[in-house]
Amino acid sequence: MGRYVVRRIFWMLLVLFLISLITFAMEHAVPGGPFDREKKLPAEIIANLEERYHLDQPYWKQYALYLYDVLVPRITKQKPLSMADETMINVKLGGAYYLRWMNFGPSYSSRSRTVNDIIREQLPVSLQLGLLSMAVALSIGLPMGILAALKQNTIWDYLGMGVAIFGVSVPVVAMGPVLVWIFGVALKWLPPTGWGTKPPYLFFFVPHNLFTWNFWRYALMPAFAVGTGFSAIIARLTRASLLQVIHEDYIRTARAKGLAERVVITRHALRNALIPVVTILGPMFAAVLTGLFVVEQVFGIPGLGRYFITSITNRDYPVIMGTILLYAIFLVIANVLVDITYAWLDPRIRYE
Amino acid sequence: MLSKKWSILVAALLVGTTLLTACGGAPQVVTVEVTKVVAGETVVEVVTATPPPPPKEMRPNVLYTNFGPGDVPTIDPALSTDTSSVQVVDEITVGLTRLHEVSLLLEPGMAESWTVSDDGLTYTFKVRQGIPWVRWNGSAVEEVLDCEGNVRYVTANDFEYGIKRTGSPDTASDYAYVLGFAIKGLNELNGAAGWGDLTAEEKQALVDGVAVKALDASMLEVTFTTPAVYNLNIIGLWVGHAQPKWIIEGDDCTEARGDRWTEPGFNQSYGPYVLKEWIHDSSMTLVKNTLWPGIESVPVPQIDEIQFAMLDASPAFSEYEAGNLDTTGVPLPDMDRVKADPLLSQELIIAPSGCTYYYGFNVTKAPMDNVHMRRALSHAVDRQGLIDNVLKGGQEPAQWFCRPGNAGCPTMADHPDTGIKTDAEAAKAELKAYMDEMGFTSVDQIPEIVLMYNTSEGHKRIAEAVAEMWKESLGIQVTVTNQEWKVYLVTVQEDSPQVWRMGWCLDYPDANNWTREVMDVGGSASASTQWTNDTFHQILMDAALEPDPVKRQDMYAQAEQILVYDDAAIIPMYWYTRVTVTKPYVNRTYSQHGHEAYEKWSLNLEIE
Amino acid sequence: MAVSEAVVPVRRRTASLWADALYRLTRNKASVFGGSLVILLVLTAVFAAQLSPYSYSDQDREQTDAVPSWIMGLFPMIKPYAKLSGEFPLGADYVGRDLLSRLIYGAQISLSVALVGPLIALFVGTVYGLISGFFSGRVDNLMMRFVDIMYAFPGMLLIILMMAFFRSAFSESEPGTFAYLMNAIDRRFGGMLFIFVGIGITAWMGTARLARGQVLSLREQEFTLAARAMGAGNGRIIFRHLLPNVLGPLVITVTLAIPGYIATEAFLSFIGLGVNPPTPSWGSMIADGSQSIRTYPHQAILPALALSITMFAFNFLGDGLRDALDPRLRGTQ
Repeated sequence: MGRYVVRRIFWMLLVLFLISLITFAMEHAVPGGPFDREKKLPAEIIANLEERYHLDQPYWKQYALYLYDVLVPRITKQKPLSMADETMINVKLGGAYYLRWMNFGPSYSSRSRTVNDIIREQLPVSLQLGLLSMAVALSIGLPMGILAALKQNTIWDYLGMGVAIFGVSVPVVAMGPVLVWIFGVALKWLPPTGWGTKPPYLFFFVPHNLFTWNFWRYALMPAFAVGTGFSAIIARLTRASLLQVIHEDYIRTARAKGLAERVVITRHALRNALIPVVTILGPMFAAVLTGLFVVEQVFGIPGLGRYFITSITNRDYPVIMGTILLYAIFLVIANVLVDITYAWLDPRIRYE
Repeated sequence: MLSKKWSILVAALLVGTTLLTACGGAPQVVTVEVTKVVAGETVVEVVTATPPPPPKEMRPNVLYTNFGPGDVPTIDPALSTDTSSVQVVDEITVGLTRLHEVSLLLEPGMAESWTVSDDGLTYTFKVRQGIPWVRWNGSAVEEVLDCEGNVRYVTANDFEYGIKRTGSPDTASDYAYVLGFAIKGLNELNGAAGWGDLTAEEKQALVDGVAVKALDASMLEVTFTTPAVYNLNIIGLWVGHAQPKWIIEGDDCTEARGDRWTEPGFNQSYGPYVLKEWIHDSSMTLVKNTLWPGIESVPVPQIDEIQFAMLDASPAFSEYEAGNLDTTGVPLPDMDRVKADPLLSQELIIAPSGCTYYYGFNVTKAPMDNVHMRRALSHAVDRQGLIDNVLKGGQEPAQWFCRPGNAGCPTMADHPDTGIKTDAEAAKAELKAYMDEMGFTSVDQIPEIVLMYNTSEGHKRIAEAVAEMWKESLGIQVTVTNQEWKVYLVTVQEDSPQVWRMGWCLDYPDANNWTREVMDVGGSASASTQWTNDTFHQILMDAALEPDPVKRQDMYAQAEQILVYDDAAIIPMYWYTRVTVTKPYVNRTYSQHGHEAYEKWSLNLEIE
Repeated sequence: MAVSEAVVPVRRRTASLWADALYRLTRNKASVFGGSLVILLVLTAVFAAQLSPYSYSDQDREQTDAVPSWIMGLFPMIKPYAKLSGEFPLGADYVGRDLLSRLIYGAQISLSVALVGPLIALFVGTVYGLISGFFSGRVDNLMMRFVDIMYAFPGMLLIILMMAFFRSAFSESEPGTFAYLMNAIDRRFGGMLFIFVGIGITAWMGTARLARGQVLSLREQEFTLAARAMGAGNGRIIFRHLLPNVLGPLVITVTLAIPGYIATEAFLSFIGLGVNPPTPSWGSMIADGSQSIRTYPHQAILPALALSITMFAFNFLGDGLRDALDPRLRGTQ
């Protein structure tokens, strides 16, 4: 088991390395750097700026420096020399020592903010929205799937699966404006754009006004728009899994023992049926997170996804790379965790 | 005991009725029977009492307004070029001189008076004393102290430092060239070749060569390059505001913050407002500077706080309708509805604004390298149709670049036929002339034309309409593309496409700011047009010094004729109007120069 | 694998896989509905020029934002300011282009994406997977590792990055280079070429994995050994014997992915990285309409409806196809 885990982790690092390489290569294939196009800058100033951002080094060195900054934790005594040296994780150890880790570098489009600042401010919003969407997906998908399985081939089944197809068929780009019009313009119940909270946050992303209506009124529509799509997946999976479990022998035994149907379902069937659902929650969250920029763009939510799109049009390479790396890390960790869980559940996989 | 009961009874009744009337609305007269003891006798009296009217609900003394999408790029005076940046800089600092935002007349600012030398080149400004540098400390506005514990006041040295810092190549300011046109020695500093290789002494020599000197704490001496009428305007621009050296470069008791000195927590300023909070990409809050004494041109503000959102035009308008913003522009798609709405149409104001919308050409790229082609495209734009059907904002079709109303700019009354007009027949004739010259027989042979604009709903609609106009009248199909503002700016400066969209708003109300500083060689658009014309340049040089206003106007009219007709380097489209809605409880002014003077606004705090 | 409804198999005369699948497909009401919609959409796209009353780019600037009376009835709040016009069945947009014509031509865009995406996925993915699975060993290892890496890349982010890359790097290229040529072709087709490439790059991985998995299991089966014993060369084995058996599940997977491609293109056009104006994509029409959502809501709702209905249709069809081709249900009702 241990060897399997080690193999998976090694694999994970390799994948991340290659992703960063591909992204780096693509960015620098676009002609021109971020500074050699400023109109009034004398060449010497450009040279100064390029030196500050390591742009005068050969590509491989730039890449290596970048990876070093992001991946290698350091223990240092001094405070950061310049803004560009600041890191995302800054833990004070004893004495005057700091543990510094993950420096995504300075942003090219802002002279007073680093990528770390940007991530710290925008990622929490995406995390909040992502978690809320998952909550919506689960609260719609689970009951629907269970009901559809229990009342198979009845109207409930068709209705449930119909709603599931609805969720999958209406993309956020289509659902967004319609929701905005119904609830934001015609009924004026909910605000059409924006987000209900701002930094600082507790525990990195929990908003301090989590239990107020002001937070929820902004979050309802986008979470619903994203959640319905994923609820379909959960509903289908729950239904299929529960159907399979119901026909197992041990359920028949439970019924034969004379247990009430309700107990049979909740105590025995559901627990086993939900295992596959639980295992996909991790990758699903990663998928939700990386797909959030769609809904952030449509609803004007200041999350990392929307900033990613802006940074692409602004050619802000450190932000682009930082975001892709961050999301790739999420995805890869989620996938590796699932693999490890499956391997733990099914020993045959370990020996593949 | 009786009196105690009496007071309790009255009190209870009063409180009771007050509560009831507070719920009920109008204060009602109440009669109460009161038993009291007067000189030993019990007397029953009827007392009429009118409970006090319920307090009116007050709104907070905060103005909610909007910048527009995207974060404010910077609030460093040296680096600001954006309207939102300049807006903030002009609220938290004040220049030596300033422009009255409505009349566009020059007023004293931080300089309470000045004297001029005989040759008209050297000005000595008397800098107001007693105005402290301040910062927001988390709960209040406080003075900034120096290393001995004394209050730091704004001095002439701060202005000298500010101007020199703007001009220094190390700062990499994009707007320093404006100062460089006017102030002696600044161009040599800003454009110094091989700056990075110079020794410290050589660099210092260049810095010292800039003719801005603080004679003492209150006297600042500035020498200009020419005795132009607009010198005083230029010295008052935001790039020439005072800057705090100690926080940027550090001193014995202050840590140097470098590029970060503008972040909340580090920022220091002296003007009517102070930076309180800045949540990037989300909002910015300015709070009233309680230590601003108020000067005639910049009074003590009446509004305690200004909160700026950073929303796109469309969501901003939603917020306005929901009551969360006090003023905003009207997005193009909403114009119809606003004009028809009984409430919104009352709040709508369409006012002239000091800006011109134009399409520029890159005259080095075929087919824009041929003047007939350029003129054909310019004639073919149906400006009035655009304004009536697409823009719907009461704008004026522009026959030339410089906006009428500014000193020196031609007006439609005096020069009705100057410049270029919409003329479909002339367009076709010019196209024919082009095709004959090139030997083309069909429009398909014309090289591809790219029309680019910066991403925005309004610009998109105009571009699509104009592209279609060209197709309908000339049969030419252009490719329409767009880029985000920041990238667009760079593209347009570095390698502009054949046709590119731009707008220009005045920095100060003089034709020089338009024609010379934008269109002439070295101006902000010249890298994009790649166009120069010696006659044009000479006229502008002469006009800058011409004292007779009528003659001056004619000279600029001549220059405009070259710009938009003879050489047709740009297509002037229309002169802007400002289309805004403002809540009725806001007492405001409508600035003519691109950013507001919030210190002159006030709010009616009682909610009706 | 999803378990279909527990069915009691009713034996019929066994037919070939495809004939049997077709039979079952036509029995499924939902997929018949979806299928007919898809056919309708395809016809609309093919006969767009004949069906649309106007061209998608002609502007009548005097009638910007005009609405027909039935829309006014549906959205009474626009009555105070809307311009009435009988010339446009669904109304006009902000520069006076006919909405119906633009919707019809938009079908072309969405359906061409729906067609090209799976084609690339099928073609590239199947060939890749077949080769990898057949040769196994080191070749297989290497090829699959590459697929795994591409898989780990956050899909949407990759597409956006690629589209931005194409739109900037290629549009600024020098004449005479490959990039310039590609850009010219892309412009001719209203921006579609880069979309196809972008979607294609992210579409083939799933198919490749599936094909390879199938091949691995089929390779060891007896019919392959038999073919080899009879002297068939590698190529022949791959294409004559393995491919037909692999194709079934692949077609299902690919068809089920179509709605995803359509949604991707819609979103790319929504953020401006998709088609170039004035080419009408439902995504860009939704973006334009969203600007006017407070004033003329139908301008956003109509393309949103069109997009949703299309995706519904493909989802129903895809689900039906999957159930129809499921070999476990072969020969049953």
